[in-house]
Amino acid sequence: MTHRPNRTLQVAGLARVEGEGALHVRTVDGEVDRVELNIYEPPRFFEAFLRGRDFREPPDITARICGICPVAYQMSACLALEDACGVEVGGQLRALRQLLYCGEWISSHALHIYLLHAPDFLGFSDGIAMATEHRALVERGLALKKAGNSIMDLIGGRAIHPVNVRVGGFYRVPTAEELRPLAETLRHALDNALETVRWVAGFDFPDINAPHDLMALRDTEGYPLDRGRPHVSTGLSFPANEFGVHVVEHQVAHSTALHARLDDRLFLVGPLARYSLNSGRLSPVAAQAAADAGLHSVCRNPFRSIVVRAVEVVYAVDEALRIIAEYERPAEPCVEVTPRAAVGHGITEAPRGLLYHRYELAADGKILSADIVPPTSQNQSAIEDDVTHVVRSYQHLDDHALQSLCEQTIRNYDPCVSCSAHFLDFTRERA
Amino acid sequence: MSSIVIGVGNEFRRDDGVGPAVARELTRLGAPAAVSDGDPVRLMETWDGANLVIIVDAVRCAPSTPGRWHRTSLPHSIPAASSHGFGVPEAVELAEALDRKPERLIVFAVEVADTGFGTELSPAVAAAVPALTATVLSELGR
Repeated sequence: MTHRPNRTLQVAGLARVEGEGALHVRTVDGEVDRVELNIYEPPRFFEAFLRGRDFREPPDITARICGICPVAYQMSACLALEDACGVEVGGQLRALRQLLYCGEWISSHALHIYLLHAPDFLGFSDGIAMATEHRALVERGLALKKAGNSIMDLIGGRAIHPVNVRVGGFYRVPTAEELRPLAETLRHALDNALETVRWVAGFDFPDINAPHDLMALRDTEGYPLDRGRPHVSTGLSFPANEFGVHVVEHQVAHSTALHARLDDRLFLVGPLARYSLNSGRLSPVAAQAAADAGLHSVCRNPFRSIVVRAVEVVYAVDEALRIIAEYERPAEPCVEVTPRAAVGHGITEAPRGLLYHRYELAADGKILSADIVPPTSQNQSAIEDDVTHVVRSYQHLDDHALQSLCEQTIRNYDPCVSCSAHFLDFTRERA
Repeated sequence: MSSIVIGVGNEFRRDDGVGPAVARELTRLGAPAAVSDGDPVRLMETWDGANLVIIVDAVRCAPSTPGRWHRTSLPHSIPAASSHGFGVPEAVELAEALDRKPERLIVFAVEVADTGFGTELSPAVAAAVPALTATVLSELGR
């Protein structure tokens, strides 16, 4: 008997995870009574930690928030602090930042596609089990990830928590000569990226569409990465300094991460939103890959986010190659930034979605207050809504199958809890 | 024969930084050493091409004797005190599946007292670093 009117699915978290997560689902009389995604994320701690520090420190401090997307934290921090100080970083220095960010997108997306998300579609318990049967596939994913890492190594000084980023630019910039071997690596990575799109496009996808508002950056040109203005699928658009007016965070009892609403509505950020609001901005090779994969100009199926991520990897590799081809070493590794008493806002597109930083500085450059809104906390409500929808639509499944589908639904968003989701215990109780 | 020592841990979680502390000490002494957050893919990339791999990681025990270490080649039996979901055992499993496991793998697991927020090792764990460094050096044949 699988279709019981009253049941509880409890996915309890283990320690040893980056962002501790658990899922609680309860149905009463066949109706979904409660869906709670419990996450622990540390940004609040970091915000308190930043108060009183020098304005040059946040890129290095906030990089530590995430081991998978440190560059995103560095980029949003730099943008916000430069905004406060009235400085804009352009030209080749900005191009190098984009290149570094492309490296992170490639590395983060490849990890998620191959080791965390694909096993769900192919029926493996985890990436290691998948590697045992599909060694060549996993090797291809790891080669892609490594190509991304090699960009981060070269531009950032190292792949994890890069040390070469500073407010105003970099500590040292590479010569065109130094970037050349990277181009060779990336040309090979482009083949792997295109094969990845073809591979994931062939997966089976549950037919579910997320009704939420979508929010992503839009830039004056190109696919959004390191700058732009927030745009919403409703047509709304606002400057970075109004982020806090539209996106309001609130506490919920079941999670230590804050939930967020966009003008009081559910919304989501990340690849689906980015793609749906910017699909016309992809480079020709990425746009062709998207079309061949059967993606239309808007994609609202969270399960297809794996295809969008694969297309974004193609874009990031292609973009990295373009930047390297056009690169000329700037005369100075950074522009001078003089602090002043002001508030600055910075928003960039982390692999998981829009990442907002806000800093208030004193005249001497001391940080008076800091605010960080990471993509996973913005998506939390939408994830719970998706899980509710999945449970409602797939009540006929037994507990094991339903739990797997719920976990896969969470992994669609590549939240920081996705690492842990494979290791969760599962208990069932009848209400 | 090439070899590498990998200190696994998070230097901002107090005693979880014992692996990185030993790695830094070894680097200072000119030995081949690296720091890793324990991500299995990055671990595997770090040991690529090395025949002998020595991993130094923190381990939480109950009851604990902070600073005491265990030498093993079977990381499966040791719960690492990393803040990440995947750790050394998964790196070994993944490397096995991909035929990229090093010829020799030695793991030093150091019992820890405190993995709360902070950059300082607790006194007992800090005191173990010089002796552990010397032990790892002798494993390297130096």
